[in-house]
Amino acid sequence: MKKIVDVSLPIGPVHPVFKEPCRIKCVTNGEYVTSAELELGYVKKGIERIMVGRPWQEVMFLAERVCGICSVIHNYVCIEGMERINDIPVPDRAEYLRVVLNELDRIQSHLLANYSYCYTIEHETLAMYLLNLRETAMDALELITGARVTCSYIIPGGVRFDLTPEKENTLRGMLDHIDSELTRFVHMFKGGSMIALRSKDVGMFTREEAIESHSVGPTARASNLDNDCRLFHPIYKKLEFKSILLDDGDNYSRIMLRFLEIFQSTKLIRSCLAQMEPGIIRGGGIIGEGTSKWSGEAPRGELTYEISTDEFGRVKKISIRTPSIMNIEACVHYMLKGVDSAADVTSTYISSDPCIACNER
Amino acid sequence: MKAVQDLKNAVRSRSIHVCYVNVGSCNGCDIEILACLAPRYDIEQYGIYVHNNPREADILLITGGFSPQWEDKLKMVWDKIPEPKAAIAIGNCPISGCVFNREGTYLDPPVSKHIPISAEVPGCPPRPTEILAAVLSLAPVIFKDYERKDE
Repeated sequence: MKKIVDVSLPIGPVHPVFKEPCRIKCVTNGEYVTSAELELGYVKKGIERIMVGRPWQEVMFLAERVCGICSVIHNYVCIEGMERINDIPVPDRAEYLRVVLNELDRIQSHLLANYSYCYTIEHETLAMYLLNLRETAMDALELITGARVTCSYIIPGGVRFDLTPEKENTLRGMLDHIDSELTRFVHMFKGGSMIALRSKDVGMFTREEAIESHSVGPTARASNLDNDCRLFHPIYKKLEFKSILLDDGDNYSRIMLRFLEIFQSTKLIRSCLAQMEPGIIRGGGIIGEGTSKWSGEAPRGELTYEISTDEFGRVKKISIRTPSIMNIEACVHYMLKGVDSAADVTSTYISSDPCIACNER
Repeated sequence: MKAVQDLKNAVRSRSIHVCYVNVGSCNGCDIEILACLAPRYDIEQYGIYVHNNPREADILLITGGFSPQWEDKLKMVWDKIPEPKAAIAIGNCPISGCVFNREGTYLDPPVSKHIPISAEVPGCPPRPTEILAAVLSLAPVIFKDYERKDE
């Protein structure tokens, strides 16, 4: 008689699809996953402990190195939080330039996430197309800031470098390139029947589960839960930002939502470039004693910094809440439950766009 | 046996399998290694393949400044790699700890305390071309005439 036994299926910490180390322990019945558990702690660095007692000039660089993929938003939220302590004014042009940089960072992060997903479901052609398109976004980042990953572009009271008209023209060309190429790739993704077989109705995540697990970002928005922090940001309000929502809550809609957000980001950058007027980009300011709490929308969801400083602007206490911690837990406890095969475990996990380095800091 | 050795050298120079391990980095170096896969840099045209599987790897790329969880595990990964093998430290973290080597940190750099490191690529993070150049310049040193090294 054929006998089915419950087995424990460990994945990681070193695994071909994982960019970062973590361990997923699945309890499976045959290949059907009945429950899963996550083990973290492989890249704990203790950044918050290092930050304590240091001035913003050092904390800024440490904040950026919380996560390499979404380094701009960490810089952005940390600095905006510090500006709130002493009400440091920011010139209009600098505000728009910050949004341009943030959206470029979102484009490259979403492209990387979708590349990982396509690579995991073994659609290498589309994956390589997306990774190549990401290089265009990285070039745009390098054009503005001079660095590919850790830019340190945003500082209290403004930004470091201005965007000259020649660079602006080049940037517009790059955005057109991203839009035209991505339209083609999205068409490939929509039309691929094998992609649909691997993605549709896999890793279901309903709206109720999203509310229950406090998931944020694209993972929640693909389940029709709107919690985009950009809706409450003053500069995004000026740009008339509206978040994109999808209903299905499966792997397909999570990936599709990221594609749609890339188009939205290029549109936001274009309207920034249109609204931007010449002027100063750096006002300066001194950070004194106080406490502030500020949130921003990272590529993966809501990111919160809570900072308190002493009279010389040194950090007394800092706590960071990153988006991935909710999303990974939601993925492991809700999406992975009821997944049909071991191959879908990894693809479902990647579809929630986990970032372990953010998580553990 | 020179003919056999020449054949081995020729094959090995176009078949370098790479595994990367993150032992406490911020992801910045990892995504630069991933960027090497992109058609722009096209790591496979040089005969380098990224599999991320220690058992078929020749070169181990290490990013990050060694968090305590890896104390035994990195040694295990290193032991699984068949000879001839080499490890490259990517970024400042495995070399010195970079910004994380301060008071209050959990990291324990450098990584060369734990496994032998053959080459180092500094930068925070290094560019994909630098990583590519490091792998390409290290590979012949390690793999060429490997069987005749003892003579």
